[in-house]
Amino acid sequence: MSNVIETRSVRYHVGKSFEIRDLSLNVPAGSIYGFLGPNGSGKTTTIGLLMGLLRAHEGTITVLGQPVPGAAPRVLARTGFVPERPHLYPTLTVEEVLRYHAAFYTTWDWRRADELFGRFELDRSLRIGGLSKGETGKLMMLLALAQNPDLLVLDEPTDGLDPVVRRALVIALLDYVSQRDAAVFISSHLVHELERICDWVGVMDNGRLVAEMPMQTFKSGIKRLRVTGAPALVEDPPFVLLSRDTGETLGAGEVWVVRGWQTPMQQYFDGIGASLREVMDLDLEEGFVELLRTFRAPQA
Amino acid sequence: MFQVILYTQWKWSRVVVVLSVVVGFALPILSVQPAGASEPTRYDVQYLLQTIQSWSVWYAAFATGLGLLLATTAWAHDHRGRHVYALSLPLPRWHYALLRFTAGAVLMAAPIVALWIGALLATATAQIPPGLQAYPNALALRFALAALTAYAVFFAISSGTTRTAGYVLSIIAALFVAQLLLGAAGLSENIIHVLFDRVITWPGPLEIFTGRWMLIDV
Repeated sequence: MSNVIETRSVRYHVGKSFEIRDLSLNVPAGSIYGFLGPNGSGKTTTIGLLMGLLRAHEGTITVLGQPVPGAAPRVLARTGFVPERPHLYPTLTVEEVLRYHAAFYTTWDWRRADELFGRFELDRSLRIGGLSKGETGKLMMLLALAQNPDLLVLDEPTDGLDPVVRRALVIALLDYVSQRDAAVFISSHLVHELERICDWVGVMDNGRLVAEMPMQTFKSGIKRLRVTGAPALVEDPPFVLLSRDTGETLGAGEVWVVRGWQTPMQQYFDGIGASLREVMDLDLEEGFVELLRTFRAPQA
Repeated sequence: MFQVILYTQWKWSRVVVVLSVVVGFALPILSVQPAGASEPTRYDVQYLLQTIQSWSVWYAAFATGLGLLLATTAWAHDHRGRHVYALSLPLPRWHYALLRFTAGAVLMAAPIVALWIGALLATATAQIPPGLQAYPNALALRFALAALTAYAVFFAISSGTTRTAGYVLSIIAALFVAQLLLGAAGLSENIIHVLFDRVITWPGPLEIFTGRWMLIDV
């Protein structure tokens, strides 16, 4: 099995206002897949579809080799899921939630749970409703990891948490992945957070998957170029021209944002009578913003 | 698995269960208070039967209330979390619903047994006039069936989404509108009465709630 998650031409709509269209995802086994997108782009809906919480109107979904939602219980037995909003019963104590959760998973590992308890410094006697946001986040991660899952699906697991808690969660996640070789599907709109841990990235916008590629390709392929003397119309560039900012003139030149950049492509500028002054790296966040800007730009 | 479901349900509905045990035990005892005379007259017997009958509505109401409260508490916490937790557990939805239903039914046993013991105690200590009989077992069984029926109905309703509740309310509203239109057209058919009758008379599902809930009867 090469992919732990595969979707083919999935369509799902919520009334007439929002639609997931033609969603074809491929999450490789053993990867940490960052699922990026602005708020409201369809990340949580997609996760709902992957977990069998929602039923797609068209298309097929396969998770861990099983069809979803048909075999959702078998998939969920091997998947650690952290939803976007805290979903645990607020009147139970932490200890009660642990016992409740553990009863549903044959793979539950009490030793790992106890170890994470110590690491996260949680109080077993506290009620869920009385936990802080950080404590709730830690507990949800603990529950997902102590299941010993083959796949972790995390929906904005660190959203709204302070840096100390965020770091603790990410370290626990990476520790687990390194021990078990599990795949992780993690959604976030905090781009810089995923940049450090993910090896694959998928970008959603307005219900569509606009890009899916290895993180390295995504980061290295998008560049900001400073160009002077370029003609108004450029034909057949060897890269994808995402944007061209002609606002700066005289001396400073234009700023181009391109995708698929490789060093030998510098020769292209000689051919069109232009001059390449500078090639600047974009971090993931800038690349993400440029990608969305291109995607949203009206087509000519 | 069932154990933890039962535990959560007990935690959420223990106040209801404990109060129901008290009410269930007290109801039969209170209903036979007039049966105290050592040599009852004909008037006393009549008065006793009337009193017992006047209490009968409380058994039906109690069974309905118990079913309603246990059913709503069974789902309240899942509703609050939009069912995400329940749906993300690795078991089929019907299995989860069955576990929740069974847990509520098990908890219901406590008030039923309390009512049965109360009924046995009440009839054992009361002076039952000659010609009258005590029916503690039958009353407890009737109560158990009624409570279970109410629980099942409310459990099914409360397990649904807001949309489902909307559909049910729309159907009821449509019936009332249809009745109004029939009335306005000068037709004498009473569809609401007919439907209500179908539901509460045999073999209607709510027949158990009607009739005589008599602890002591002829």
